[in-house]
Amino acid sequence: MYQSILLLNIPQRTEKQTDFESRGFALKTVYEKIKLFILLHLMLMIYSFSGVCSKKAAGTTFLSKEFCLYYGMIIFLLGFYAIGWQQIIKKLPLTTAFSNKAVTIVWGLVWGLIFFQETITVGKIIGVIIVISGVVLYSYADGNEEPKL
Amino acid sequence: MKNFSIAYALILLFGVFISAVSQVMLKKSANKKYDSRIKEYLNPLVIFAYLIFFMATLLSIVAYKGIPLSMGPVLEATSYIYVTVFGVKIFKEKLGKKKIIALLLIITGIMIYSLCG
Repeated sequence: MYQSILLLNIPQRTEKQTDFESRGFALKTVYEKIKLFILLHLMLMIYSFSGVCSKKAAGTTFLSKEFCLYYGMIIFLLGFYAIGWQQIIKKLPLTTAFSNKAVTIVWGLVWGLIFFQETITVGKIIGVIIVISGVVLYSYADGNEEPKL
Repeated sequence: MKNFSIAYALILLFGVFISAVSQVMLKKSANKKYDSRIKEYLNPLVIFAYLIFFMATLLSIVAYKGIPLSMGPVLEATSYIYVTVFGVKIFKEKLGKKKIIALLLIITGIMIYSLCG
């Protein structure tokens, strides 16, 4: 996963292309974009796991073995995210990347339910939807850039 | 109705605020010219920024003692408010209507999540 983010490369359009070739190219580009989109979401899902580690660490004694393990995982996930994000924004418009980042709020709900038996209420869902729409609107507020995916 | 402690929520909000401050310091540093590559990374601004960032991670651990996991990413959305304020005040960026509406949506969502969640 890590490797594929770093190595992923979208082919550039060349000057001389037949119709057939350019159609093939378009298909390939769509395929690459979908792949990039999936990679972005996989990365965001893995990154959102740092919250689980933070909450797990909160339940341990400060500087205990368990605490250090969870804290190490948090730092690793943040580092993984920093590198992955840099690679993703090289190939995706920043606005698309930023608006998709809002999905980590949904992951917070899911991980909370799975790992800490937190309840999901109607109020929480409404609040989350409004926050996400705010983040998405914010991401597209600056330019006239349309979502690419 | 309320299954979190306000004090712990405030700790997380403070953590989000100081990490926004660290972002500003990193951007300030990125805008400067340095003699060498090493100085680009090892200068007081960058080192202090990462120290703050490190503190913010510890603060979030403390905060999670008193708030549910799902509340973390919701409260982290307040970073957009700080980033906007810093952007306008320090980096003289423009503030459009859309951004203001977006920030109001984020604040409303957080309030609904916290009060009705």
